[in-house]
Amino acid sequence: MTVETTPSREPQDAHKPVRSGDAHLRIVGAAGLDRILRPLHRWVWSDARRRGEKLLKFAQTEADGGRDIARAAERTHDALLRRLYLRHALDEQRHANLFRTRGRAILREVGQKREDGDATFDGNFFSPGERGLDDLQVDEESEGSLLAFLHLSEKAAARRFAVYQEVLEVDPVTRDVFVDVLKDEAFHMNYTLSQLKRVEPKKAGWRLWWARLTRLWKGYLRIASAIANVMGGIVLAVQYFVILPIFALMAKRSAKKELPGWAPARDGGERSLRSQY
Amino acid sequence: MKILGLSAHYHDSAAALVIDGVPVAVVQEERLSRKKNDAAFPLKAIEWCLEQAKLEPEELDAVVFYEKPMLKFERILTSALRAFPKSWSSFPKAMKNSLGEKLWVKGIISSHLGIPGSKIFFTEHHQAHAAAAFLTQPAKRAAILTADGVGEWATLSVGVGEKMDDGRVAIKLLRELHFPHSLGMLYSTFTAFLGFEVNEGEYKVMGLASYGKPEYVDQVRQVISPEKNGAFSLHLDFFDFHTTAKRSYSEKFVQLFGKPRAPHEPLDPTTPEGARYANVAASVQRVLEDTLVEITKSLHEETGESVLCFGGGVALNGVANGRILRESGFSEMYVPCSPGDAGCALGAALYADRIFFKNPHVDFPDHPYWGPSVDPEELAAVASEDGLPIETVASDDALLDRTVDLLASDKIVGWMDGPCELGPRALGNRSILAAPHTVAMKDRLNKEIKYREEFRPFAPAVPIEVAGEYFELPPGGARLGAFMSGVFPVKPEWRDKLAAITHVDGTARVQTVERDKAPKFYALLEKYGKKTGIPILLNTSFNLAGEPIVTRAVEGYSTLRRCGIDVVIAGRYIVSKKPSHAVMPTDGGTS
Ligand SMILES: [Fe+2]
Ligand SMILES: [Fe+2]
Ligand SMILES: [Fe+2]
Repeated sequence: MTVETTPSREPQDAHKPVRSGDAHLRIVGAAGLDRILRPLHRWVWSDARRRGEKLLKFAQTEADGGRDIARAAERTHDALLRRLYLRHALDEQRHANLFRTRGRAILREVGQKREDGDATFDGNFFSPGERGLDDLQVDEESEGSLLAFLHLSEKAAARRFAVYQEVLEVDPVTRDVFVDVLKDEAFHMNYTLSQLKRVEPKKAGWRLWWARLTRLWKGYLRIASAIANVMGGIVLAVQYFVILPIFALMAKRSAKKELPGWAPARDGGERSLRSQY
Repeated sequence: MKILGLSAHYHDSAAALVIDGVPVAVVQEERLSRKKNDAAFPLKAIEWCLEQAKLEPEELDAVVFYEKPMLKFERILTSALRAFPKSWSSFPKAMKNSLGEKLWVKGIISSHLGIPGSKIFFTEHHQAHAAAAFLTQPAKRAAILTADGVGEWATLSVGVGEKMDDGRVAIKLLRELHFPHSLGMLYSTFTAFLGFEVNEGEYKVMGLASYGKPEYVDQVRQVISPEKNGAFSLHLDFFDFHTTAKRSYSEKFVQLFGKPRAPHEPLDPTTPEGARYANVAASVQRVLEDTLVEITKSLHEETGESVLCFGGGVALNGVANGRILRESGFSEMYVPCSPGDAGCALGAALYADRIFFKNPHVDFPDHPYWGPSVDPEELAAVASEDGLPIETVASDDALLDRTVDLLASDKIVGWMDGPCELGPRALGNRSILAAPHTVAMKDRLNKEIKYREEFRPFAPAVPIEVAGEYFELPPGGARLGAFMSGVFPVKPEWRDKLAAITHVDGTARVQTVERDKAPKFYALLEKYGKKTGIPILLNTSFNLAGEPIVTRAVEGYSTLRRCGIDVVIAGRYIVSKKPSHAVMPTDGGTS
């Protein structure tokens, strides 16, 4: 008996989308920066273990992305959008399964995961998954801004996946997974744009610009907060080694005095509900 | 008196509104935000609760938070100091994590709700667990046990509760065990070791345990040893959860139990490696049970009470609960529908009401249905917009008959009725229901709907009066089964006919259904019994993997569209899938 820890089969109605040939692949050919970074991508994807682990991570983000889109379907009052979102959600669910199955197969081939702390460099910054570094707040967006955001994010994903597929000569099976997924991504990118134009014909262009600016701003915030985080970490680490040793000594002493086993419960007296201690 | 209870920031956040001593509305944030285990400050839950009573925040008399933030911070800081210098890498993270909104809860409540600090109160974490366990059940007096990962310092506490004739209530916690000595942490460490997600995969360990033999009990006993009066201590060199956030077990732990399982590794208990994992699971399960039985036995002797109320996340371990009931000496045992931290929102509100404000105790029905109600019209509207077949029946009775027909013909039914449940278990208001008879049904549910491991069993629901005919229930077992809190053997003669809900070791996590608490669900079981001879249905939560249980009808609808459920039912509407030739839309837009 084999006990799989996740689905081994697609859901019943995870229909494959209707496809219109390779035109999609042309639309989403690798562009700009990703083209320049191709050698780097090739290197990131060259290691089998890293590849397996990345695919598992992608599976996770595809599944999360699918849930976000399903949420969008539950929220919308537009019947056509609901149907499209539901189909989109099923696509992402299918991608998650594809990535997971492939990632597991690779990791099975290369053998066991190393002990923690010895993980391979995963190069996530260079090759994030579909939703990449975008985070989607379905509940907070209006229909138009959600569609604009989705369009940009799907477009970025489609480009990214096109590059991955190009640099995966070493692993044709994984490349085929990306080819398969890429067709759906092209559909996602196209329908979100055409629906944006239908839902908000006058504001569509403005929505897209606003979404672009928001993504830039969020990117800046992400970098800024990462830097602040590192700096804060350094300050705290310095404090840790400069100020804390003496207190650590005291804490260790008092820990030694503590007897194992039961301690009396703190008094639940009347005053205590006002106190945060 | 209007009291709002809140839990937030660590696991499941939730809000509970208690008015004049009675819960009016309780809901977990995840059910509204649709983010599983949402731990954010529960704004949506608060808003919904206040809406139910048409209250403005200023009209609240008190807002009670379920733990003491400063005390918790003290524990985090002290633990880091004690682990010096090993904690150097986790210290900055722990500080940044706690110094944010987790520490300034009072300010956050005050600014979000616009109420003065004088109306904001804090119970201790285990006081809230104890109140959620004792004050939501009918017994006048009881012994109380709470056990979880950790609150402020306490990880486990024992005490007694009494509702006096004059209405006064006393909850006296007698003693407690402190971090890092924690049954919850012990179990979570093994959960991580076995490759499951901590705070989420604990019940997978319990399910897996049934496939193994407790061959590692001696090794587990090396990492946890007994102290006086049923207490215990963990041997800290086997653990790392108190020093770093990266890993919960240490190198020494790995030397003792072997290589940990990677999350992506398939788990097959018939292979030697899989059997080792199952055996490790069985061993920690055994030691957990033994420890709880020891503690409850001595609590029983000490207090002489006949009823035990058990709260905290550890109380979700139904196998352990079954053993406590059989072996501790307590003749009745009660586990609330939400023994974990979400239930603490209600616990904190009730504790403040009865103990701090000294309001007299008021009995209220101990059902789990405190959340938002389903709106059947919403289901009908979206289904008809999408052109799905909708059947409308004329009466409740006809609906039940039709549902029974569907179930008896092996259809999988998404069932939504009334207010949603509080707590992690669907108990008949947001349930996926199916015939409980065949292994094929179990496999179908695993593969097409739940996308989950075969070693996690599905639960049966049965009318309480006849539960004993199908399951070997000890005295008090039927009561414990009200919220699926106990695991009991299926009677051998029924195992073949109840194959979808009988676990590999012949047990099941039974839900005993009472007519007055869930009349419609009860009637459904009765009618199913009349038709098939067995009044039992498979009952699993109405959600997909990674999603919270559905709340609104449209969420049930979207679940129908994304998995192998055959029909969704709400009110008098039965919505089924389109015939399979139907095509999903391509782009209907205007580009
Ligand atoms: Fe995708
Ligand atoms: Fe996509
Ligand atoms: Fe807790």
